[in-house]
Amino acid sequence: MQLKRRKAGRVGRAISAISATLLIATAASCENSAVAQDFYGLDKAGRDNFGPGIAYTEFDGALLIYQEAGGRVQAIEPTANLAIHGARGQQLTLGAVADAVSGATPNGAVPSDRTQTFVTPLKPQGSSTTVTSASGGSTVIQLPPTPGQVASASLGRQYTTAPNTLPMDKGFRDHRAALTAGWSQPLGWISEIGGGAGFSREEDYQSITANVRAAKNFNSDNTTISLDLNGEFDSSFPFGGVPTGLSAMNAQFKPITTRHKTQLGFVLGLTEVMTRNWLMALNYSYDSQKGYQTDPYRVISVVDPTSGEPTSTLYENRPEQRKTQSLFWDNKLAFGPTVTELSYRYFTDNWGISSHTVEASERINLAKSWYIEPNVRFYHQNAANFYRAFLVSNAALPAYASSDTRLSRFDAITYGAKIGFRVSGRSELYVRADYYTQSGDGHPANAIGQLRGQDLFAGTKAAIVQVGYQWKFH
Amino acid sequence: MEIPLTATLARAGRDYLGAFKAMATPCEVRVETDDAELGRRVTDAVEAEARRIEAKFSRYRDDSIIGRINAAGGRKTAVDAETAHLLDFASQCFDLSGGMFDITSGVLRRAWRFDGSDRVPGASDIKPLHKLVGWNMVSWRNSCLTLPAGMEIDLGGLAKEYAVDRALAVARAITAAPVLVNFGGDLAVSGPRTGETRWHVAIASVEKDDAMAGMLELVSGALATSGDARRFLLKDGVRYSHILNPRTGWPVKDAPRSVTVAAPSCVEAGMVATLAMLQGKRAEQFLKREGARAWCIR
Repeated sequence: MQLKRRKAGRVGRAISAISATLLIATAASCENSAVAQDFYGLDKAGRDNFGPGIAYTEFDGALLIYQEAGGRVQAIEPTANLAIHGARGQQLTLGAVADAVSGATPNGAVPSDRTQTFVTPLKPQGSSTTVTSASGGSTVIQLPPTPGQVASASLGRQYTTAPNTLPMDKGFRDHRAALTAGWSQPLGWISEIGGGAGFSREEDYQSITANVRAAKNFNSDNTTISLDLNGEFDSSFPFGGVPTGLSAMNAQFKPITTRHKTQLGFVLGLTEVMTRNWLMALNYSYDSQKGYQTDPYRVISVVDPTSGEPTSTLYENRPEQRKTQSLFWDNKLAFGPTVTELSYRYFTDNWGISSHTVEASERINLAKSWYIEPNVRFYHQNAANFYRAFLVSNAALPAYASSDTRLSRFDAITYGAKIGFRVSGRSELYVRADYYTQSGDGHPANAIGQLRGQDLFAGTKAAIVQVGYQWKFH
Repeated sequence: MEIPLTATLARAGRDYLGAFKAMATPCEVRVETDDAELGRRVTDAVEAEARRIEAKFSRYRDDSIIGRINAAGGRKTAVDAETAHLLDFASQCFDLSGGMFDITSGVLRRAWRFDGSDRVPGASDIKPLHKLVGWNMVSWRNSCLTLPAGMEIDLGGLAKEYAVDRALAVARAITAAPVLVNFGGDLAVSGPRTGETRWHVAIASVEKDDAMAGMLELVSGALATSGDARRFLLKDGVRYSHILNPRTGWPVKDAPRSVTVAAPSCVEAGMVATLAMLQGKRAEQFLKREGARAWCIR
């Protein structure tokens, strides 16, 4: 046995140097992956190896229940998502969503101090959207014969709205099913290249989407630049046909049955690991939409210039071109046991809408397997330049008009929280609840006559509850 | 496959002592603290890091990076940054040792089974395997490794020491309290104990399981041991050490029974100890020339 210490030789010095280099370099790369685990909620202890370079599958199944206040729309939405990760960075994602929506929606007309009557085409018996007088509060009426109309349309549906209440169509019921699929993988010097497609079908609407994406990591994977190109082709085939914009609401079947909309856009993204505890993302997106963007069921009241009483009801009409831009800035901050997310979005379009969204959430680990994530979101938007709460009968008709509150100036706040329970290192059960309220100007300065006494803002309040289960396996 | 954390935690003198088994060896972590919760957090983090490295670099797992590289069948495998740094290190050690340290030499173990028996393989068993050894035959550039078909790599000669250094770094990120990480005799400390006192480390005897061959005092840095304490073949009075010479395919002759090296990091200590073993009877001379702080047992 001997204990020796002398000046290091060539090999000893070299090993000393390369060992130090190895530990410094791997410390940096391990810290980055630790950051990723912090941010993406992976098992921090790393008990299960689900990181890059490991083949695994992730399943997320959830049920969402959406309920608007005042007996308006309610929806039940089961979703299922599957992500299959290959060991070489390949990823296959598959998603399925189903929706059942029913309830009453504001039809767009203003309230009045008198009873109002609305007529719309009658859905044929056997259709799942059939309404009866019992459930929908509607009655079937015989239409007077009108020259040039489709012969079968001799019956219509009529519903009334009591004085001083917001006119709503209670016959709203729809089902939707959507499927998405995507693939991505590294290819040569490109860190990620991929594409996807989606198909969504409702009883009166169909949407086909496609996208391609490329991303490149730089700077030891601390910087990612990405470009997404997306396209969408939508078909609207409303029940009763496509009404002519700003024509009088009626019960006739319209001769045009289908209209289309195309959309092309891109998203340019930058993600940067700023420090060990701070991840930042900046996205710019641009979309150009052409085609039918009007809500075929939505109407707008024309009122008397002095009394404010509705004199007629017209179908709304929106421009066929829309160009939107948005900038999204997202920050994830991991300090101690909490992860904070702060984001801001600015949105603007050529319809005159601009909006600001600020959102904050904080993930707090409670016990070993529990966490809670409260969140709050503030939203403000300016009105579209063709938004009108109503039209006035002695003024010339504008080219475009809509009374949709989503196109008006309004504020919205969402409060919510998610509670997660880690069942094991690989599965998690979560419940998420949100409450959303819109507030806008119900008494605009231009209100006339009886309208001054009415609340002209038809905004919604809604509760959203989601229960989900995530499961990762090899 | 889920790998749960299994470490036990117990009070041991001034320390909390966490113990678990990983990388086929007993592992322990000592935290000098009165805070049991801190002891548990450090132990869990150390175990998690050990298991992460074990799973990631295991050659027995098809889904590990090593499993994928070895199964690539002559095709190129892109590796992540951490693996790339380890391969760079291994490649530099190959050059520094003149080919004596070679992570492709693991295939020789198909012929050599160091179980204390007298089953020494014949030259005809070794020759075909020896053709599959040689880091100079692989292509390693731009974070992509290509092995000629049939060749394999094994980071086993490196991973345990690396795990010790990484685990200590993880522990240091949690606490400033004095910590000792010991994975099967390869160990590192975060610094002196409270009051500038030293850590006492026993060197295990190569003869008897529980006996002690000596006691080292350690203030900082790491210790690693390379040895054939229980892994050897004995035939006709010749003891075949488990240290194989990649250049011949045969065990190194006249290697010390064990070499323990002290160095700032466990990776460095382990590499110096391994290279010393590969020198055979010139091990002491090598250690002296390189100025290593080392114990040799013959």
